[in-house]
Amino acid sequence: MSDWSIDSLEEWDDRIIELAKSHNLDWFPISYEICDYYAMIGNMAYHGMPLHYRHWSYGKSFERTHQMYNLGAEGLPYELIINSDPSIAYLMRENPFYLQLLIMCHCVGHSDFFKNNLTFAETGPENIIQRFKNAKKRIDSYIEDPSIGIEKVERILDSAHALSLHIPPNCKEYIPHRERRKELITRIKSGDPLVINRNPDQFPIDDEIDLLSFISEMALNLEDWERDIINIVRLESAYFMPQIRTKIMNEGWACFWHYRLMNELDLPQKFHIPFLKSHNQVVTPHLGRINPYHLGFHLFLKIEERYGLEECFIAREVCHDESFLRQYLTEEDCHELNLFSYSLYKRDYVVNEISDGDGWKEIKKSLIRQIGSNSVPKIIIKEVKSNNVLRIHHEHDGRDLELGYAEKVVDYITTLWGGVVRLDTVIEDEPFEI
Amino acid sequence: MSTFKENKNVSDRSGSDRQRHKDKIDKAIKDGIHDIVADESIIGKDGKKKIKIPVKGIKEYRFVYGDNENKKNVGSAQGKDIQRGQKVGQKDKGSPGQPNKAGNEKGEEFYEVEITLEELAAYLFDEFKLPNMQKKKFKKISSKSFKRHGYRNEGIRPRLDKKETIKKKIKRKKKAIKNNTYDPDAEDRFGFHHDDLRYRFIKEKKKPTSNAIIFFVMDVSGSMTKEKKFLARSFFFLLYHFIRSKYENTEHCFVSHDTVASEVNEEDFFSKGSTGGTLVSTGIDKCLDIIETRYHPSTWNVYVFQCSDGDNWPEDNAGCFKSATKLADLSQFYGYCEIEPAENRGRWLQMSNLSELLSPLLRDNFKIAEIRKKDDVWLAFQRFFGGFRE
Repeated sequence: MSDWSIDSLEEWDDRIIELAKSHNLDWFPISYEICDYYAMIGNMAYHGMPLHYRHWSYGKSFERTHQMYNLGAEGLPYELIINSDPSIAYLMRENPFYLQLLIMCHCVGHSDFFKNNLTFAETGPENIIQRFKNAKKRIDSYIEDPSIGIEKVERILDSAHALSLHIPPNCKEYIPHRERRKELITRIKSGDPLVINRNPDQFPIDDEIDLLSFISEMALNLEDWERDIINIVRLESAYFMPQIRTKIMNEGWACFWHYRLMNELDLPQKFHIPFLKSHNQVVTPHLGRINPYHLGFHLFLKIEERYGLEECFIAREVCHDESFLRQYLTEEDCHELNLFSYSLYKRDYVVNEISDGDGWKEIKKSLIRQIGSNSVPKIIIKEVKSNNVLRIHHEHDGRDLELGYAEKVVDYITTLWGGVVRLDTVIEDEPFEI
Repeated sequence: MSTFKENKNVSDRSGSDRQRHKDKIDKAIKDGIHDIVADESIIGKDGKKKIKIPVKGIKEYRFVYGDNENKKNVGSAQGKDIQRGQKVGQKDKGSPGQPNKAGNEKGEEFYEVEITLEELAAYLFDEFKLPNMQKKKFKKISSKSFKRHGYRNEGIRPRLDKKETIKKKIKRKKKAIKNNTYDPDAEDRFGFHHDDLRYRFIKEKKKPTSNAIIFFVMDVSGSMTKEKKFLARSFFFLLYHFIRSKYENTEHCFVSHDTVASEVNEEDFFSKGSTGGTLVSTGIDKCLDIIETRYHPSTWNVYVFQCSDGDNWPEDNAGCFKSATKLADLSQFYGYCEIEPAENRGRWLQMSNLSELLSPLLRDNFKIAEIRKKDDVWLAFQRFFGGFRE
C-alpha cells in the first residue's frame, strides 16, 4: 500500500545527512519511530515524550487533535520531534514517501536548533527521557498509593498546571528562599553597601515570579508527595519553556532547511509537485493570526537575502523569538506579510494599525507582546502577610485579565498554598482585587 | 546515522487519560441533567423525543488576557486593501480566522449532547427504586426487569462492566506479549482500547411483580402560584418518567384538589389549575376512597406522592392529620413534597404549615421534602428514592 520501505528511508536518510552536513548543520542523532495515526496523536498529546505521567488533560488533548483531524485537517503533515539526545521523532505510517522525506529534513532542522540555540542550553537533552520516566514512576506510585489515589493527585496536578507558565522566562534555577535570606543577612552583617538598607524580614525578600518553586518551598501544609508533584510540573515546564520562547524561529529554521534540502536532494520528478504543495500548506499565512511556520520561514529567507547565510546561523544560535523579531523584522517584512493589528471595540473587532510607514512599528510592538512568554500575564508574589495570607500582584500592562479564569486560578493557588490568596490587578482602569 | 524503528505497540497510551477526561464530561452531563430536569423545555415532552443538553467542556484554567481594547492582536491580512477602523469580526462570532473563538487562549467549549428522555431516565434513575415493594397476593402486573443478556461493545456509561473490560484488556495484553508487540517489562502502560470496553447488554424481560398503584396528589388551589405549580409538575413529571422507565403497567392515579378533590386524567393533571381555597384533607380522603374501592392494600403496593405549598385552612388540620396517618399506615411509601418558593414565605402566616403538621408521621415510609427552586426538584427525588444528600 505505502510507496516506501524502511530500507528506502534509510537510503535517503544517508543522502539527507550528507547534504545537511555539507551545509554545516550540526544535530543530535535522530531516532525515528514509525507509528500509525492513532499512536501519532497519542504521542502528540504527551508532547512526544515516550513516557509521561498521566493526567486527564492529555486525554482531552488527544480528543481535540482527533476532532480537528476529522474536521478536515487530515492533509496536514504531522511532525513531532523532541529535544533529546538522541532526538526522538515520529513518522506516520500513512504518509507517502515524499512526505516522510520532507519531515525527516524538517526534523534535522529542529534537532540542529535544539542542539545549538542558547535558549536550550540548560534543558539537559541527554537525560530528559530518564527524568520524565522517573517523574511518571513517582506519580504512578502516588496514584496507586491507597492513602493518596487519583483524585488527590489530580487536585494537585490541576492546580500546578494552572501555574506552570509562571516561571522565570530564562528558566533559571530556583534558589530556595531560605538560602537567599541567609545570604542577605550575611551580607548586611558584613556591611555590604548594596544591601544595607534592605530588610531581611521582608517575606519574600524579593518579588517572586517563580510561583511553583516558591509555593513548593514555603507552603506550610503540603505533604512531601504534593511538593514532589509541584516540582515535577516545574521541571517539565522549565524543559518546555525554551520551545515556547522560540516557536517562530524553531519552525522557521526547520522549514528553511527542509525547503532547501528537499530542493537539493535530487528527488524523483514525480515527488516535486506534491512536496511543494505540502510545503506551501505548512507555510501559508493564517488569516487574523500568526502562523509561526510562515513568519519564521519568511524571516530566515530575508536574513539570508539581506545579510548572508552566516547571519542565519548566528541568529539560530543567539536569538529567541523576541530578540529575533526585534532585530530582524523590518517595515518591508510587515508590509509583505500583510500584518495588521486589531482589538475588540465594544462588540466588534476593529483594525487598529496596518503595516504602512506609520503603523508598522506599533504592529511590531504588539506582535512582540503576544508571543512566547510575553503572552503570559506577569504574576508576582509580593508578600506573605500574617495569618498566612498570600498577596500576589498582576503587573498590568494595559491588557486586562480574563476575570472568570483568574478567579479559578486563584482558587488553584489557594489549594496549593493552603491559606488565603489575594490577587490585585487592574480591570477597566480601576484597581481590582480577587 | 539515524535509526528507524517500527512501532507495533498496540497499547493505547492515552486510553486511561481519555477515559478520565470522559468521566469528567459524563459527570458534567449528569450535573447538567440536574440543572435541566426542571427545565420548561422538557416538561411534558414524550419519552422518545430527543432533547439537547449543552455540557460545558472541562477547562484548564490559567491566567490569560481577556479581550479588550488594549489587547492588540497581530495577524496576517488577506491582502493590502485593509483599512484602519475596518470591522474584521464580532465578539461571540469570533475574530478573523477564529470562528467562534475570541482571543487565542480562552473560549467556551461546549459538548452538545443529544439524548432522549428515556436515556435521560436511564442516567438519572439508575440507582433508584421504589422503596419497600412487597409481594402481594396476585402477581398480574409485570415490571420491566432488565435481564442481562451478555455483553456488547457499545452502550451507555452506567452499564460499563469494569470487570469484563479489564478481562478483555488482559487477554489482549497476553496476546500482545505472545506476539512480541508489547514488552511487559517496559515502563509503558498497556492502556485500554475502545474494543476492550464491555457494556452489559440488557434485554427487557417482563417479570411478574407485585401490583403497585401510584397516587399523584397535587394542590391546585389559588395559593399555588404558577411558579409553585410548575415546580410541583416538574417533580411529578420526573416521578412519572421514573416509574414508567422502571415499572411497566403500574397503575397511576392523579388527584388534584383545592377545597374539593377529584380524580383527573394525566393531561389535566399536568395542565389545569384552579383558584379556590385549600382543604388538603380532601385530597388525602380521595386517595383513601379510591384505595377502598379499587386497590385493596392486601393485593396492592400503595405509593403516594403529594405536592402542596403547605397552606391549609386551620380548621382542616385535625382531619388532615388523621387522614394522612391512615394513608401512611397503609402505604408502602408516602412522600410529601412542600413547594415553597423562598420569596413567598410569610404571606400566609395565618395559615398553618403542613410539613410541621405532618412531621410527627416521619418514619421510613413517610418522608418530607422541600422544593424552593428548580434545583431542589432533583434533591427531593434523591431524598425519596436514593441515598440521602443533606
